[in-house]
Amino acid sequence: MTGERGRALVRVEGLTKTFGPTAALAGVDLTIHAGEVVAVVGHNGSGKSTLVKVLAGLHSLDAGQVVAGATELRFIHQDLGLVGSLSTVENLALGIGGRPWRRLRKADERREARELVRRFGVEVDVDAPIEGLSPAERTIVAIARALRGWDDRREVVLVLDEPTASLHGAEVDQLMAVVRRVADHGAGVLFISHRLDEVLDVADTIVALRNGRVVGDLPRDDADYKLLVELVAGQAVEDLERGSGDRGEPVLEVRDLAGGGIRQLGVTVHAGEVVGLAGILGSGRDEVCAAVFGGSVRTAGVITVGGREISDIRDSIRSGVAFVPGDRHRHGAVMSMTAVENLVSVLVPGTASLWRRVRRGQEMREATEWFKACGVLPARPQMELTQFSGGNQQKVVLAKWLRTKPKVLLLEEPTQGVDIGARAAIHGLVMEAAREGAAVLVASSETKELAQLCDRVLVLAGGVVVDELSGADLTESQILHASVPAQAVTEPSAPTRGSHLYDVMPS
Amino acid sequence: MSVASSVKIEQDDSVWRSARRFLSFRNISAIYIWIAMVILFSVLAPETFPTVDTIRIVLTDQAVTAVLAVGLVVPLAAGAFDLSIGSQLGLGAILVAWFLRNQELGVVPAIVASLAIGACVGLANGLLITKARISSFITTLGMSSVLLAVISWISKDAQILNLGSAFQQVANRQILSIPLSVYIMIVLAVCVWWVLDNTYMGRAVYATGGNADAARLAGIRTHAVVVMSLVSCSVLAAVAGILLSSSLATGDPTVGPAYMLPAFAAAFLGSTQFRNGRFNVLGTVVAVYVLATGVKGLQLIGAPVWIPELFNGVALLIAVAVTRRQGSSKRSRTPAPKRVAVGTAA
Repeated sequence: MTGERGRALVRVEGLTKTFGPTAALAGVDLTIHAGEVVAVVGHNGSGKSTLVKVLAGLHSLDAGQVVAGATELRFIHQDLGLVGSLSTVENLALGIGGRPWRRLRKADERREARELVRRFGVEVDVDAPIEGLSPAERTIVAIARALRGWDDRREVVLVLDEPTASLHGAEVDQLMAVVRRVADHGAGVLFISHRLDEVLDVADTIVALRNGRVVGDLPRDDADYKLLVELVAGQAVEDLERGSGDRGEPVLEVRDLAGGGIRQLGVTVHAGEVVGLAGILGSGRDEVCAAVFGGSVRTAGVITVGGREISDIRDSIRSGVAFVPGDRHRHGAVMSMTAVENLVSVLVPGTASLWRRVRRGQEMREATEWFKACGVLPARPQMELTQFSGGNQQKVVLAKWLRTKPKVLLLEEPTQGVDIGARAAIHGLVMEAAREGAAVLVASSETKELAQLCDRVLVLAGGVVVDELSGADLTESQILHASVPAQAVTEPSAPTRGSHLYDVMPS
Repeated sequence: MSVASSVKIEQDDSVWRSARRFLSFRNISAIYIWIAMVILFSVLAPETFPTVDTIRIVLTDQAVTAVLAVGLVVPLAAGAFDLSIGSQLGLGAILVAWFLRNQELGVVPAIVASLAIGACVGLANGLLITKARISSFITTLGMSSVLLAVISWISKDAQILNLGSAFQQVANRQILSIPLSVYIMIVLAVCVWWVLDNTYMGRAVYATGGNADAARLAGIRTHAVVVMSLVSCSVLAAVAGILLSSSLATGDPTVGPAYMLPAFAAAFLGSTQFRNGRFNVLGTVVAVYVLATGVKGLQLIGAPVWIPELFNGVALLIAVAVTRRQGSSKRSRTPAPKRVAVGTAA
């Protein structure tokens, strides 16, 4: 697979980028040769996306340089940048120069589009709207568009930022074949991913990042799955002080839950217990909390809190259930309102009349206390929530629910897009809630987080619980291994190539 | 918790600083523009503009618009448009006249019946938006046309005259030489202000408008909030219509639509005032009178008849543009794209 290396097209030397006190990139070196696929792997916050942004010119550098010469860098960002309602032909023709009022040469455009797409070994209906294509086909169209006008005279490096985040099984293979083909035609490919298995399939060189540093730069043949996990996760996984593990009474009982991607799920969470939900993307992991809370439709199942059955959102809140959604912008908070308004926005039905007068002074005092307790900065509760950083927004969302003194705390990706300091603070708050007797259910794509926080972890696959880990078995790598769908293990594949899906980072 | 100790809460709410913030041009630009206009027109039309009569006329003329605009604030705050307010005003105006003359109801029953029908229109709007899931824009646009047809049907496109002196008193009765309609407007504005700004109900309305999904997940019955906001808007539109018929002593089938734009202009202009881009009652009432002062001043210095339309239209556009700019400047932007250093080829 690793043919002779072509010329070096792009050299990255000593790249350093700091945001405030944290270094997102610290002296990163890497080289991309013609015909080579270089994969960059790493955890959330390892500096992968900063690297792409620096290469794209969206961030300025603090030190180091990108030596590109005449090579053109072409980017496929995660959102692909295609217009869903337009056809492949039209998408490929977008942005091509020429006078706006010139007549469209539709037949030519169609022919060119078909050739371009076929060059990558796929057949798509070039006249169908993009939104009707599969995610993999869409990505391939995006690649075709990025490589438009690429010929032998030009040197091109294609940068793919997490192209497989929303793809599954066969789709990944289809895309990988295209990536391989692009490299075989002489382009350099920089492939950013968090899925170690696919990286092992496609890459010639693998660069592992951790905390902004290159912790491994090795040819594909020297790498295996286990080594990569160690490189990416780091040897020393520090242990957070866990809760005492003393179980109280069962508080939350979920029986035969179904709906959305959940086929059948049952779980009992005791007072003071933190139960984790692990699983790859699409395993149903992300849907459990919302379904339990009543925020999404349940097709079956009985949820009881303290022996009382709950039916909808207001019922849940009344029974002392709190839900911190994974997407705080869309579901967690009203960004255009102030932090204090968000903090006091949960009114437990039945305990407080909506027509009650707002007492601003009292609210501010309360908000001040919460801001102190949660370490929200800047400590100005009267500021609009948009003006806070992601980590501080998340703390406000968590505080808004902790304020209701929940008996059950449902958390979805509680530290997504949050810096390390805020992450520790949020973990501390969750632990404290558990110590005070809350039953905590936390769904996370970060196995590290689950291993640190939870007393036991349920592993989901295909909408059902496939494994339960607790005690000594509850480690990051155990969760990873258990998350792999059974069929992937039995799939015929070279033994050295880890076929485990490593889907611990959110897209 | 270790994080906690290092945090210091900023006490920046000293009286002086909050006063300065309140008086900043950004916060109350309309007030400064108002003062400037009053001075300007007093200089240009010293005989006619700075008089008690002018004040009274502007105050009285705009009571109906102000009631309508205050009503409009509620659905806008809840994130729903109501483009049918003009027609609803027209419906209220014609219905009360029709009940008085054609059905020979007493003043009170006629008013109550008109208000009830107004509330039903709001309920229909609200249910179409929440249950049939039609966007508020389309729903109320369609409703507007339906109501114009109803107005035309029940009035047979003719004015309904002679509504009786008792009914005329509703809007025109003078207290301290200011007509009752102004007091009614003030009372209604205070009620809406109280609910929106000082109760958790109001918070729920703003939360629904800000992010309906998040509001729902925080236990707010967002559908009920939207329906209620449209019902209250419709009731206030009916009140405005009744006041208009009363002050004109006539049920006129053509009056409604003309009131829509001034109400929207005032609500949007009002949202740029006092509350940092949020739709609010005080800003809206102030905006109604700022716009009216401008129009009146221009009329008194001899501007042509099409000036009010132009003035209101431009004011609406400027207000929305200003709101957008306030919104975008608050968000932190990513640093401007900058090319990376490109050295020599390897």
